[in-house]
Amino acid sequence: MRPARQLIASLALLLAAGSAGAQAQDAVSYRDAYRAMVVFDKYGGPKNLLVNQLQVLPRERGALAEGLLLSLTGRSTQLNLPLDPLGRTVFPLQKAAYDENASLSLNRKGIAFTLRPQVSIAARADGVYDVAELRSACAQALDFARYVDASQRSRQCAGVRFVFAKKAEAGARLRRPDGTEQVLPVTTAEAEDGFPAVSWRFGGGAERGQVATYNAPLAILPIFE
Amino acid sequence: MNKLLFLVLSTSTLAGSLAGGMARAQTPAVNPMPDGSRDMYVGLGAQSAPRYEGSGSRKLSALPVLQVEWSNGIFISGMSAGMHLSGSPTVEYGPLLAVQPGRDESGTSVEVGGVGMNGLIGPAAGEKAMFMTGRLAGMDEIGARLQFGGFYNVYLDPHWRLTSSLLVGAGRDHDGARLELNVQRLALAAGSRHRVSLTAGVGLVNRQYNETYFGVTAAEAMRSRFGPWQPGGGLQDVHASVRWNWVLSPSWMLTSNLQAKRLLGDASHSPLTQRPTNLTVSTAFAYRF
Repeated sequence: MRPARQLIASLALLLAAGSAGAQAQDAVSYRDAYRAMVVFDKYGGPKNLLVNQLQVLPRERGALAEGLLLSLTGRSTQLNLPLDPLGRTVFPLQKAAYDENASLSLNRKGIAFTLRPQVSIAARADGVYDVAELRSACAQALDFARYVDASQRSRQCAGVRFVFAKKAEAGARLRRPDGTEQVLPVTTAEAEDGFPAVSWRFGGGAERGQVATYNAPLAILPIFE
Repeated sequence: MNKLLFLVLSTSTLAGSLAGGMARAQTPAVNPMPDGSRDMYVGLGAQSAPRYEGSGSRKLSALPVLQVEWSNGIFISGMSAGMHLSGSPTVEYGPLLAVQPGRDESGTSVEVGGVGMNGLIGPAAGEKAMFMTGRLAGMDEIGARLQFGGFYNVYLDPHWRLTSSLLVGAGRDHDGARLELNVQRLALAAGSRHRVSLTAGVGLVNRQYNETYFGVTAAEAMRSRFGPWQPGGGLQDVHASVRWNWVLSPSWMLTSNLQAKRLLGDASHSPLTQRPTNLTVSTAFAYRF
């Protein structure tokens, strides 16, 4: 066969094969998610102040809605993972689901999505955070980020961002050691898909005090710069 | 025709996939998994490639796909196998084995025009070369070779990876060595159906490697149409490729690869080289077990 014909035949085969798969459903390999999530589990550095969750990122903004579930489906596995308003869930590390090459899909069809691990700072039940502890938590998150991504080595911890639910009263105040309090401004961060957020930046010195939130935040995210 | 079929690497790992469908040292990204588990792709497709490196003619052939990785780090990827020894997510290294396919005269289509096909007395060597249109007629057959060496890859960030592999054992006397250096732009995002990764790099070989695959010995010159050619070592090629993985479902994938390669130096000036720049295109369906 002539070279040009061969090339055309190969490309035609490729396109034909591609169009045959266009009807596939929106589902993600559990194995791919597992390998992204297990890195944190196997990380040997300090991480006691952190939580690692799987986050669903819909291709269209605003597609996350109440009642949305991430379904884990395998030959012998069936789990429904509830998503918080940010699309996050605790990811189960299961050998059986891995070996069965289980799939992850949303309980509502037609929502294209991707998945990513998200490491955040663990929320406290009392809503009160020592500044020193927030610094330590941010440092732990940065150490982990550097562990998985060499390009993060030049970045530093700059602060933390408390992200709140849209319906809840968002806000936090800084309590200084001398008893004075400062209300921290609430913003609606684009990065958080319109969720109200309070960003608190670390000062230059060894600042002491506490940050108290009015309501439990959905997430506390470290800020690296 | 080479006795060994080319195997293509396909990977849908989150860290991306590797480019290059030819039988060359290939290392999938380290794949954390539960103890005792494995990740395997098996498939079949087609490949259009030069009949041999530097050939001006192409052939379309079936393309089996095989990639397996076990939780202990051992992997099989196309025509290579190795083991991941690094515990860091940003560095990969380990030993590597790879099969270098052989080459025989039928690297080109052999036709014996006008000569009695069932003659009891064959033509003399020189005559044979005159009648055969096969491009490598008269050249020694080179058997398949098991090469050994290692790989070392570094992630600059989750998207970019520098890869290197050194393999020894190719060539007529098993003393050919090839060093390959690549930079890769990896595809990310679990859930994205289309993952495209780009690779560009160079291949460096020693004199023995080039002599085997691009040289012409005095004896070969006597019985072939080629003049003697003794290439040296050095930079052998520059190449670039794009791999497109279409994830049809968590179990099925269409993996396609397009590679352009330009021979350089003595390899490009070899009398065996008809076309220093060549394309290889492949596509295959793979099932994930």
